[in-house]
Amino acid sequence: MIAPLALIGLVSLPIIVAYYMLRLRRRDVPVGSTFLWQQLVRDVEANAPWQRLRFSWLLIVQLLIALLMVIAAARPFLTVSSDLAANVVLIVDTSASMGTVEDGTSRIAAAQVAARRVIGQLSEGGHVTVVTADDSAHVLVSDTDDRAAALAAVDGIVATQVPGDLTDAFALASALAARDSDSTVVVVTDANADRLPRVGIGAPVQVKRVGTTDGNQAVAALSLLRRSGGAQLDLFVAVSNPSASDVTRRLEIYADDVLVDARDLAIPAEQRSEALISSVPQGARVVEARLAGDDALAVDDRAFALVPSAAAVRALLVGPGNTYLENALALLPRLELYAVGAGGYVDALDAAAEAGKPYGIVIFDRTVPAQPPTVPALYVGPAAGSAFGTVGRVLDGPALDRTDPADPLLRFVDLSTLHIGRARAVTLADGMRPVVESVRGEPLVAIGRVNGLGVGLLSFALGDSDLPLQVAFPLLMSNLVDALLPSTDGILPPSVELGQPIAVSIDPAIRRVAAVTVASGEQLELEVVGGRVTVPGPRVTGLVDLQVVDDGSGTGGVSLGRTAANLFNPGESRVTPGDPARIRDLGQVGPSPGDDGLTARSEWWWPLALAGLVLLLVEWLLFHRPTRRAVARILRRGRPPAAARSSSSSMAGSPR
Amino acid sequence: MTAPVAHAAEAGAGADLLFDEAFLRRLGQLELASRRLTAGRMKGERRSVRRGQSVEFADYRNYSAGDDLRQLDWNVYARLERLFIKLFVEEEDVTVHVLVDASRSMDFGEPNKLTFARRAAGALAYLGLAHLDRVSIAFLGEGRAVSLRPLRGKARVFEVFRFLSEPRPERLTGLAAAARDYASRIRGRGPLILVSDLLDPGYLDALRDLAGTRCQLSVLHVLAPEELDPDVPPDARLVDNETGHGIEVTGDDDLVDRYRTRLGEWQEEIAAFCARRGGAYVSVPSDLDLADLLFDVLRRRRVIE
Repeated sequence: MIAPLALIGLVSLPIIVAYYMLRLRRRDVPVGSTFLWQQLVRDVEANAPWQRLRFSWLLIVQLLIALLMVIAAARPFLTVSSDLAANVVLIVDTSASMGTVEDGTSRIAAAQVAARRVIGQLSEGGHVTVVTADDSAHVLVSDTDDRAAALAAVDGIVATQVPGDLTDAFALASALAARDSDSTVVVVTDANADRLPRVGIGAPVQVKRVGTTDGNQAVAALSLLRRSGGAQLDLFVAVSNPSASDVTRRLEIYADDVLVDARDLAIPAEQRSEALISSVPQGARVVEARLAGDDALAVDDRAFALVPSAAAVRALLVGPGNTYLENALALLPRLELYAVGAGGYVDALDAAAEAGKPYGIVIFDRTVPAQPPTVPALYVGPAAGSAFGTVGRVLDGPALDRTDPADPLLRFVDLSTLHIGRARAVTLADGMRPVVESVRGEPLVAIGRVNGLGVGLLSFALGDSDLPLQVAFPLLMSNLVDALLPSTDGILPPSVELGQPIAVSIDPAIRRVAAVTVASGEQLELEVVGGRVTVPGPRVTGLVDLQVVDDGSGTGGVSLGRTAANLFNPGESRVTPGDPARIRDLGQVGPSPGDDGLTARSEWWWPLALAGLVLLLVEWLLFHRPTRRAVARILRRGRPPAAARSSSSSMAGSPR
Repeated sequence: MTAPVAHAAEAGAGADLLFDEAFLRRLGQLELASRRLTAGRMKGERRSVRRGQSVEFADYRNYSAGDDLRQLDWNVYARLERLFIKLFVEEEDVTVHVLVDASRSMDFGEPNKLTFARRAAGALAYLGLAHLDRVSIAFLGEGRAVSLRPLRGKARVFEVFRFLSEPRPERLTGLAAAARDYASRIRGRGPLILVSDLLDPGYLDALRDLAGTRCQLSVLHVLAPEELDPDVPPDARLVDNETGHGIEVTGDDDLVDRYRTRLGEWQEEIAAFCARRGGAYVSVPSDLDLADLLFDVLRRRRVIE
């Protein structure tokens, strides 16, 4: 028994018996006369404090209830063999795909069942750490031998909507396993994660795989572009079908919750279908793509997109001319690009000012102005210092250091194959930060705010690198312009993937902002540090609004931007359960703990508790028999009682 | 038959509680059945075994010297030339005795048995008065009978109601002694209706004494619903409403079943006694509607016609 102290409760048995032997304090019930009762009553006894113990079903039932409850409280168990070590790290996958519903049951519910089973199989004296893993790890209970607490933690697990990443959970499990050589890591998952941890675990890993179905389709992409000078809105939608069978799904397009388009898309197995829709009204603010009907995973059946503003920004490219740069900038829908040579820079600014159409951004290609402009500027291959800092010696063939993929400037930008022939060493001014550095720490790409204006830098000329030939080039330029140019749509990107944090620059005068989930109204307050704030990745699909928190200056509630959060994760939408061996192989391969004759405790207190409850019900029924008679009499009310009816009909005398 | 509505004001508050106007109207339509046609002092509305002077023809007999010549049927003489005397049914009055058990055991139950008994007695008395019978009404308690002088005529009904409305429950029953007291003072013969719960060790002596008066005995055995179908808590002390003495019981199904069995046997015993003495026995729950008692149960039992 796990809790033998509970057997102290057996003392209650003689107490119950003694209670029955004590003369009861009876309730006075007035009757018209005891004339008839006196002929019946057997239990009239002397007024002694104790009476003879008589057989009573009530007593028997109460003794049984007490006995069952005491034994159950002592938590009896059977010893069974176990394949778990003494220290178990239980990782439950709570990524978006675990919200898949199969045969009316969610995958996360199946995971809970499996997790409970693991806890029930803990070896004698074993302890468990319960961890959930979505895009990061969350410890629910740590290194406990309290199975009830572990079970309660498992009961509270719910699936999230964010893409899964087991890296954090495995790192945590690895650390826990390192503390105790007798450890087992159990992962309850559908094993469909794209990203697996790069490091292994020094302990055996068991995988409890859940899930069977693959019947899911997803809105894989949704984007809105303005064309024809902003006069036309083009909506691009892609619907993927990761399942093994061809399907036809109805795609519905809503503009501000009003249905504006619906069409059936035939999607071959493991492919995607795309649609270009031009029926989005000009005045719409939010567009939603929705797959009608049900499939296995609901979270990827909806996607949102914000309609971009129609206003364009005049951009001035100053330099000797660069086709790659001009094409990349001209592709950006927000920019209305003008180009001028280095000598015409000042005149161009004056002419624009006179015309009342000032430039919103200036890009200096291998040119440095005498005075920095009063608008955001991007410097490419500067030969001299300016607002970004000072320029030093020439760097020959600088090798790139590893880049941070989480940096918003490098979103969708892969610089792993970038080669730079020559660059300039730059000492960055205050307010600037490097985005891409050489292995020696020289900034190659940098961004920041100097004197309140955005400043960007590529410390190498495009012609001195193969960047213009990279797919990443237009994306990098787009990200740089977005970072430098305050968007009329706000400072947030128009779309973001679930779970992906957003780092944005903010007016330093603002101290606190709040990320508000529009659908639920839930808001998360964030501190602005040095004019920058990192908004945690949204956890649910829908719109997120970044607002100024009221600090008494009257700017509270002002929106700084809005973004649409979507899943857009092929790995999560592909709900087909993966190969558990991929995860199992990350663990130590060796003899299982069961080979060493480990034992586990299988508790069987719950049948006792259940039997106790049933007996409690029986006891209640026995005790309330008079009440049942009263109810029966009430039901008969309106008719003469049975005794009276029988008497008046059969007992009356007849005249002679 | 006209109900004494015009005299309602005389009834007083107690009578108002006992009877309402509509009930009194219906009472007038009933008649007490006298199983034994007995002779009385005054002519009433009941058929007598005696042949006498009335308007209802009964039979012929041969004329004999001394007979009243006014009774000769001259039409028969004209046809047969023989003298026959016409016999008529002589209508006689009877005394209706209504006895109410006023013991403390009757002051019990929901609805209260004594209240029910008073109303039943009032109704029966009214029926008797409305049919020009003499009515004698009495309370039995504490070893004696407290009775109202015999009354006659509908106008006296309110005296009956006032008498019945007086607070009565006696501390001790002494049902047998009280019944003997009444039986010893009984004058006129006629129906004798005892309204009682008979929860007294001397109940059989009481019935024996009343049956010995040669009156037609009817017993309205009034029991409360909780006496007919008791609800006894698991651990209870049953307190006697008369004596205050209690007995401890364990209120299980077995006890209640045995009580019901004993109750049935007891009722059969009383019914058998009444049947042997030519009387009627009617078990009446105190929650029975009084109109149902008078217009249905007692009619079916031929206590009332």
